[in-house]
Amino acid sequence: MSRREMLREFLATWPGRIGTFALAVLVVVSIVAIATFPTDFGKAKWSNPAVWADNPKSAPPAWSNIFTGNDQLRHEKLKAERPGKVEASDGLEVRSYVMPYSFPAHKPPKFLSVSIGGVTFHERPPTLSVHILRPDGSEAALNREAVRGPRDGESAPYSRFKDEPLRVALTSEPAAVDALREMYLDTYGADIRSSDLRQVMNRALFGKPSESKPGEIALLKGRYELIVKATLYDGRDSVDFSRFVVGGTTFGLMGTDGQGRDLAQGLIFGLPVALIIGIIAAVMTTLIGAGLGILGGYVGGKTDMVIQRFADIVNNVPLLPLLIFFVFIVGSHLYLILLFLVAFSWPGLTILLRSMVLQIRSGQLIESSIAMGASKWRIMYRHIFPQMAPFIISQLIFLVPAAILAEAGLSFLGLGDPSIPTWGQILENGFRTGAVYLGYWWWVIPPGVLIIITAVTFMLIALGLEPVVNPRLRKVR
Amino acid sequence: MSLIRPLAIRALTLVFVLFAVLLLLVITLGATGFSDRLLNAVVSEEVRGLRQSLSQTIRDPDELERTIEVRRQELVEFYDLDQSWVRRLPDTVFRVVKLDLGEARTLKSFDGSRRVSDIVLDRLPNTALLLTTSLVITAVIGLLVGPRLATRVGSKADRAVSYFSAVSFAMPTWWVGILLILIFAFKLNLLPSGGMYSTPPPADGFPRFLDLVKHAVLPVLTLVLVSVGPYIYGVRTLTMNVAQEDHVMLARAKGLPDSVVERRHILRVAAPPIVTGLILGLAGSLSGSILVETIFNWNGMGRLYFEAVSGSPDESVIVALTFVFTLLYVAARFILEVLYVFLDPRVRYT
Repeated sequence: MSRREMLREFLATWPGRIGTFALAVLVVVSIVAIATFPTDFGKAKWSNPAVWADNPKSAPPAWSNIFTGNDQLRHEKLKAERPGKVEASDGLEVRSYVMPYSFPAHKPPKFLSVSIGGVTFHERPPTLSVHILRPDGSEAALNREAVRGPRDGESAPYSRFKDEPLRVALTSEPAAVDALREMYLDTYGADIRSSDLRQVMNRALFGKPSESKPGEIALLKGRYELIVKATLYDGRDSVDFSRFVVGGTTFGLMGTDGQGRDLAQGLIFGLPVALIIGIIAAVMTTLIGAGLGILGGYVGGKTDMVIQRFADIVNNVPLLPLLIFFVFIVGSHLYLILLFLVAFSWPGLTILLRSMVLQIRSGQLIESSIAMGASKWRIMYRHIFPQMAPFIISQLIFLVPAAILAEAGLSFLGLGDPSIPTWGQILENGFRTGAVYLGYWWWVIPPGVLIIITAVTFMLIALGLEPVVNPRLRKVR
Repeated sequence: MSLIRPLAIRALTLVFVLFAVLLLLVITLGATGFSDRLLNAVVSEEVRGLRQSLSQTIRDPDELERTIEVRRQELVEFYDLDQSWVRRLPDTVFRVVKLDLGEARTLKSFDGSRRVSDIVLDRLPNTALLLTTSLVITAVIGLLVGPRLATRVGSKADRAVSYFSAVSFAMPTWWVGILLILIFAFKLNLLPSGGMYSTPPPADGFPRFLDLVKHAVLPVLTLVLVSVGPYIYGVRTLTMNVAQEDHVMLARAKGLPDSVVERRHILRVAAPPIVTGLILGLAGSLSGSILVETIFNWNGMGRLYFEAVSGSPDESVIVALTFVFTLLYVAARFILEVLYVFLDPRVRYT
């Protein structure tokens, strides 16, 4: 059977077609992920709590409202890197970063915070102020911040809030409470005590005095504008970005975990990791397994016996306990995990291939090659290996999901490489913190489904290869 | 009588396997410094406790230090820490081989015994209840359905089983467990999410047993769900391969009834590998399943092993458990060798 015929036979099967298509999708997504995620994503972002500080903890995905029926407020980050409006007058420039926000008024937000990052100035320090413009036209200046002036020995340009942005929680900031109190008094004639207002800031910012129930605050639906105004005194001064966070209880596409991490990011990053683990482990296992199997089967004698005994022992020790044992003792680096995976999974292939070689060796092709004076290595390489190649490839593909599952299992026991987030680790984290018992389905179901999809893709390809590998099945069809 | 020699050779090989595994274990424990680290931790823990209790009675700091140092030396000698692992660990192995499993250093049995054999005897029935039960259920279903599918290769049912088995291969068993907990324990509130008994556990007798069964349903279901597809598929493929052999065609050509062909010419030939799988599976099932036992908080052998390795590391339990697991496997293999003599006539002629 020529290579082209094999390919046609493979693609004639539905598993082959679906598997190939799914693999193409997985590979494309992986490439995009590798291109867009920083390589130190695990250390720098995933396990860095500061990155996720603004996110709600254990929040379901935003679309879950459709199914649960309760209208939760969507968590929103509003970010502006360019000012929407610039007013220049003599010697100073006011840049307004305007972020529109349409508030559905089902539920009040948990909090409102503002972050301003990367302020650079040359002469006088800029002043920053935060405003809210509400649907009914009322406006309040919630906070005013003077950027710290030059320190001794510091020279222009001066840089502030570069590594860590200035963050103000407007729902608890005293200045914001006072500003809002004044606005309520001016606009609605409602005199609320500061201490009372502080308790309900999240409602008050997005509401007005209720008409039906006096003394309470009703939510005000409509289009808000959240504004950061930066007053700069030099044309070269700049502000990198301003960001408002409206604290909701649902988050993004896949929700968040217990530390507020965006699960969508972790899940996407996990895909290339899983593929790399699976493919590297499978290729190395196949190289070792097939090499030893063919060698032992063809050379025979003592070499064969040693290989077989060794394979027999390794093949029969249970994989997971040993992996746990070694990884716990030696350390959980990804390359070590891969090494141990390979070290304990080659024998299956060796034993299978050896028996195949024994069959092929007694065939006439080999006999005639020997008669023609071909060397042992040439026979192994030219006559034995090609006959078994399709089988070896299908075994290789079977090994990929096995490796992915083994790594996931290991990660689930808390022995994964902590610097590289994987699906197994996300699950471990969820299980350890009780996500399963609290019913945080968005945290535990997607990683598992992704593991299954990835593994099934390879299973389907292997299934599609079956008629290529096993001619008996071709007759059946 | 020519049978005794090959059997003896096999038996020797298996004993060799047993020693090889233990040797490998000891070298890993010793060469990585794990063993020394563990024992040092035990010693310093005891010294710390001692310092606390002694500082109440001995006021003089010098004398206190001296007393503690003496005690520390005693401990070091007691745990043979003054010797290198090359001398220390083989002793452990030989003791274990003599079926004396020794004392655990950190782990305890449910009623507080430190003897490893007590701990193992605590856990073994739990694991058997979970793993062996599910293996038996899986095997019964597989052996009933598999051969039937083999005669209908390519049918709808056959294809369905192939796909189901492919998906099962791709499913992490533990994740299926999580999913079942989410559905049956959290959403529907039908079954307990983990543990072996309710708190407080019902009084002895039938209610207690019923409670245990109720807790075992989800884990057993998990294990069966994941393993039954591949098992059916395996039996089906084995029987199918035999069914396509020439001797079966000959039997059919002779006009033998289907049932006879199936029983005598197909199943009889396919039996050895099936029995192999079953017996090795049974022996293996006693080692427990680390992941499933973790998910369902089930105190079995797998969990014990995991605790001994990474929870509260305990060298003597690791060595003892590895020995027990390997012994189970070796014993199962030997039983197989003997069985093969009856199952596979070809063995008698080699």
